[in-house]
Amino acid sequence: MSRFFATGSDSESEESLSFEEAPPKASGGNFKQSLLLSDDEEDTKRVVRSAKDKRFEELTNLIKTIRNAMKIRDMAKCLEEFEQLCRAFLKSKNIVDKEGVPSFYIRLLADLEDYLNQLWEDKEGKKKMNKNNAKALSTLRQKIRKYNRDFEAEITSYKENPQESADEEEEKEEDDSEGSSSESERDDEDGVSAKSFLKKKPEGVSEASKFLKSAKESGDESSSSDDDDDGEGWGEDTEESGSESSGDEEGKSKSLATVFLKKTAGPDRPSIKKSEKKKKIQKVRLEEEQLEGEGEEGDGPWEKVKGGVPLLKEKPKMFAKGTEINTAVVVKKLNEILQARGKKGTDRAAQIDLLHALAAISNENNLGQGILVKIKFNIIASLYDYNPNLAAFMKPDMWKKCLDCIDELLDILFENNNIFIGENIAEDSENLAVSEQQPFRVRGCILTLAERMDEEFTKIMQNTDPHSQEYVDNLKDEGRVCGIIDRLLSYMENKGSTEEICRVYLRRIMHTYYKFDYKAHRRSLGLQGETKSEQDQEESEGEDSAVIMDRLCKFIYAKDRTDRIRTCAILCHIYHHALHSRWYQARDLMLMSHLQDNIQHADPPVQILYNRTMVQLGICAFRQGMIKDAHNALLDIQSSGRAKELLGQGLLMRNMQERNAEQEKIEKRRQVPFHMHINLELLECVYLVSAMLLEIPYMAAHEFDARRRMISKQFHHQLRVGERQPLLGPPESMREHVVAASKAMKMGDWRTCHSFIINEKMNSKVWDLFPETQRVREMLVRKIQEESLRTYLFTYSSVYDSISMQTLSEMFELEIPTVHSIISKMIINEELMASLDQPTQTVVMHRTEPTSLQNMALQLAEKLGSLVENNERIFDLKQGVYGGYFNRDQKGGYQQKQSYQRDQKGSYQQKQGGYQRGGYRNQNQGGY
Amino acid sequence: LKHIKINVVLKIIKHYQEEGQGSEVVQGVLLGLVVDDRLEITNCFPFPQHTEDDADFDEVQYQMEMMRSLRHVNIDHLHVGWYQSTYYGSFVSRALLDSQFSYQHAIEESVVLIYDPIKTAQGSLSLKAYRLTPKLMEICKEKDFTPEGLKKASIGFENMFEEVPIVIKNSHLISVLMWELEDKSTAADKHELLNLSSSNHLEKSLQLLMDRVDDLNQEIVKYNTYSRNLSKQQQQKHQYIQRRQQENAQRQSRGEPPLPEEDITKLFKPPQAPPRMDSLLIAGQINNYCQNVKEFTSQNLGKLFMAEALQGHN
Repeated sequence: MSRFFATGSDSESEESLSFEEAPPKASGGNFKQSLLLSDDEEDTKRVVRSAKDKRFEELTNLIKTIRNAMKIRDMAKCLEEFEQLCRAFLKSKNIVDKEGVPSFYIRLLADLEDYLNQLWEDKEGKKKMNKNNAKALSTLRQKIRKYNRDFEAEITSYKENPQESADEEEEKEEDDSEGSSSESERDDEDGVSAKSFLKKKPEGVSEASKFLKSAKESGDESSSSDDDDDGEGWGEDTEESGSESSGDEEGKSKSLATVFLKKTAGPDRPSIKKSEKKKKIQKVRLEEEQLEGEGEEGDGPWEKVKGGVPLLKEKPKMFAKGTEINTAVVVKKLNEILQARGKKGTDRAAQIDLLHALAAISNENNLGQGILVKIKFNIIASLYDYNPNLAAFMKPDMWKKCLDCIDELLDILFENNNIFIGENIAEDSENLAVSEQQPFRVRGCILTLAERMDEEFTKIMQNTDPHSQEYVDNLKDEGRVCGIIDRLLSYMENKGSTEEICRVYLRRIMHTYYKFDYKAHRRSLGLQGETKSEQDQEESEGEDSAVIMDRLCKFIYAKDRTDRIRTCAILCHIYHHALHSRWYQARDLMLMSHLQDNIQHADPPVQILYNRTMVQLGICAFRQGMIKDAHNALLDIQSSGRAKELLGQGLLMRNMQERNAEQEKIEKRRQVPFHMHINLELLECVYLVSAMLLEIPYMAAHEFDARRRMISKQFHHQLRVGERQPLLGPPESMREHVVAASKAMKMGDWRTCHSFIINEKMNSKVWDLFPETQRVREMLVRKIQEESLRTYLFTYSSVYDSISMQTLSEMFELEIPTVHSIISKMIINEELMASLDQPTQTVVMHRTEPTSLQNMALQLAEKLGSLVENNERIFDLKQGVYGGYFNRDQKGGYQQKQSYQRDQKGSYQQKQGGYQRGGYRNQNQGGY
Repeated sequence: LKHIKINVVLKIIKHYQEEGQGSEVVQGVLLGLVVDDRLEITNCFPFPQHTEDDADFDEVQYQMEMMRSLRHVNIDHLHVGWYQSTYYGSFVSRALLDSQFSYQHAIEESVVLIYDPIKTAQGSLSLKAYRLTPKLMEICKEKDFTPEGLKKASIGFENMFEEVPIVIKNSHLISVLMWELEDKSTAADKHELLNLSSSNHLEKSLQLLMDRVDDLNQEIVKYNTYSRNLSKQQQQKHQYIQRRQQENAQRQSRGEPPLPEEDITKLFKPPQAPPRMDSLLIAGQINNYCQNVKEFTSQNLGKLFMAEALQGHN
């Protein structure tokens, strides 16, 4: 810092003095610095000079043409040139900022104004002018007036001292004739500005090093202020202004130091260097096209200097104005940068760097949080913009940056209660300047940014190989994402509108619903067993996810006005309930929501969520032992055979006709990230096992029923596949296990069935995935026993005259009351023709079920019935066409047949009654 | 009337035992000669079993080859028909009809010999000879299986095939041998004939019967839709003609020339009538099954009564 100001002074001797000063100060970076400095003597001088020269040459050339135009009174040309000049000046602004406005420029401005005023006054002359020129004159006059306002001070000083300028002008003429070769000369003439520029370069370095050295340097502040006083001589300004500036400087540098201490020190310095390099490269590029962009990009890193020096220079005169300009300037710059956004050929990475730099500047200048927030918004937005298309995902470093930015933004928002942000704040009603009474108003929506961030996260997860370490690493960011959402949530709860709260709640819900709350689970289990202290400790660790879900969802139910958020919230809520085995709540919610009726109108992501919820509901029902409900819930998903697709967990291989690349991309975007997947094998196993528990007894009960329907097509398909196997080895896959178990169950052999369903393999594949493994297994065993008992009774009741319940209970290892209840139920449902003999505890079969042969005969009779019916129809037709074809006898016989048929039907409608004999005989009589 | 030599029977049985199993069917060629008004079958040889991999196997070539070889050893080599095994009496099929027709068309006296191994295994040799009735032959010749054609020929399932009575003859030497053997042999311990279990056989028969009934049902439905279509078209045709007539009448009254007569059949193409032969065959098959079941049950009833009597006696 001190050296900065030392070098800032104009004399060569002082510069050397500064060199002497340097070593004791910066002990660490000392050697390097001196190296750098010595380089600067030659090297930087050359480089910077060329940059500066180029600019100045451009300016002088333009000025020359303007002067020429002035001489011939060509106003149109004058206007055109002046506009170019302004642009060129803007472009060389960074140099100008360092140097101060070059005096020849000021001179031109002053002269031009005078000249224009002269012309303006000269009414006659004006009349003589052609229309074009007159028009140009008036516009030019207005423009220059406006423009000169910015340079008021310089112009007045110039006007006070036109002598020098006159001298210069003479020289200028010479210069012009000589062209650009006389650069060094003019530098000397420019004196102050040129030299100070030269010195500024080392100062830039020292400043950079200051960032690194941070606190220590800031401790040197006092000395720096001393140096300030030393250096004040270099400007033409008075002493008081110098002291003023030094005071200002101190505060500013402090804030700067603190900011850089925080974070940006690391990334910022490279960015400076990078952009420096970039600047050089870009110079080579097409000038015309790059004019603006170059200016912007060049400006960014140099802005810092502007923050330091020009302030110093300008402050003395118009302190208040200077700061105000700065806010405005930063906003302007920001807009400039943003204008490049979306344009072709814009370097997006550079843009982000620029914005970062801008943020640093505004920080440095203490422009207040308003502007910072605005810049942050834009940084994040441009981070999102970084990827050209929607499908690509963020690179890890970008992602990290994005997270950091949002975090910082939230920090600021939390620290400063007086910042209002919102989408609906118009650009012009923003209030970015620091002021006591008015709160900041910034356009932008933090919620949208967070939502976008969440989406980006999903995208990253979708595009990472789920079995890699990378995925795990990425997944670790989920905590941060959640943290941000949580913070946002608490922010929104205070500030946001209900809709916004709903949105942020939904985000929170989306990050919660699929996670199993082990803490709460343990707590609910541990209520009996664990020690008191542990419980207390656990209970203090925040609320259950269930409670959170409940609170958030209920808020959304009450407040939400868009249907989609509510639908999603309900589904997530159900899912969460189901995940935590709160079956009744989940089911009631599902039924109350009536989502089943209208879900097909929802958009695909919601449908996927619905499918996920249904599946989870089914699995929950299964855990609770509600086999039928489980089966029903899973039927839709499983029967299609596209469970993977329906759950958004992968694409099915299909031929390209059905789906082109575009659709595939869309579908890929809908995929659920891997960590949210529902295990498909578990799903299928649950489905098949529940189908087995339902289907096998049903099949046994309706073995001979011609009209029996399949409960589960998929299950039957699996059975058929199993039967088709030429060689049956021990089961390997989950399906084979289920098929083998089904076969065992068909025979009523529950032990084998049990061993097929619950064993090592199945445990590791399926059952261990449940949170309450042991309970589920017990439930399953119980179900298997019961259903096996039913199957056994269906299948073998014809063999028994009577069977004691004792035996049955031993066979199936069920308690007698259970056996009793099962059998009673079967009898009541008329599934089993038997009665219970209470004293002996036996089941007495009634033997009313037809034997297989009888069954066959019954089926045949049924078929014949339909055959006859069909035949009749033919006859009806014939009779219609050829009336009276049949004679009476035939008709009679035919009617007899009908009556016979009715008889027959009647006979097996009364199945339960003493059908068999009578019916059978009837049939016989009919048949023969 | 037909005379069959015992060696033919044995050969057929052997053929089935060796190659046929379950519902698979074995076939072969019958050789013999016509004497007076009877056909004598004196020899036979099997068709080789078809396998998938030798598709280019030439059956005709094989038969000619076989017959030539047989002639060399001085055996009757006249082709007089063919034989086929059956599974629970299911043999009335399109394939049988077609091949029997071609046989009978080429060699007038051809017969098809149906051997039922299951019944034979139960103790009673079941061998039946069938011929197509002349009526059916005519229809087959004309390939007219439309309902009208069948109606005109007044053919039903019962008069599609005619059974030819057969007599199995042994040579005298064999008869002598048999007599001698009968004396020597101890009491036969074969009781298949008296087996009381009937449900298995009946179930199988019923199952097959049911399948056929289903088929027949389908045929009927097919026919039903056909006749409905037909009648609908008849109606349309009728309406069309009426309209045309009305128009003509109007035109006549106005003194205009009547509209030219158009070919109505062109306008209304009659729907394709489903071939009725299949349903006839199915009906024949059903009939066959029924006969089988009836036969079987009557035998079984007898056996059951016998068993009951025996039990009472004991």
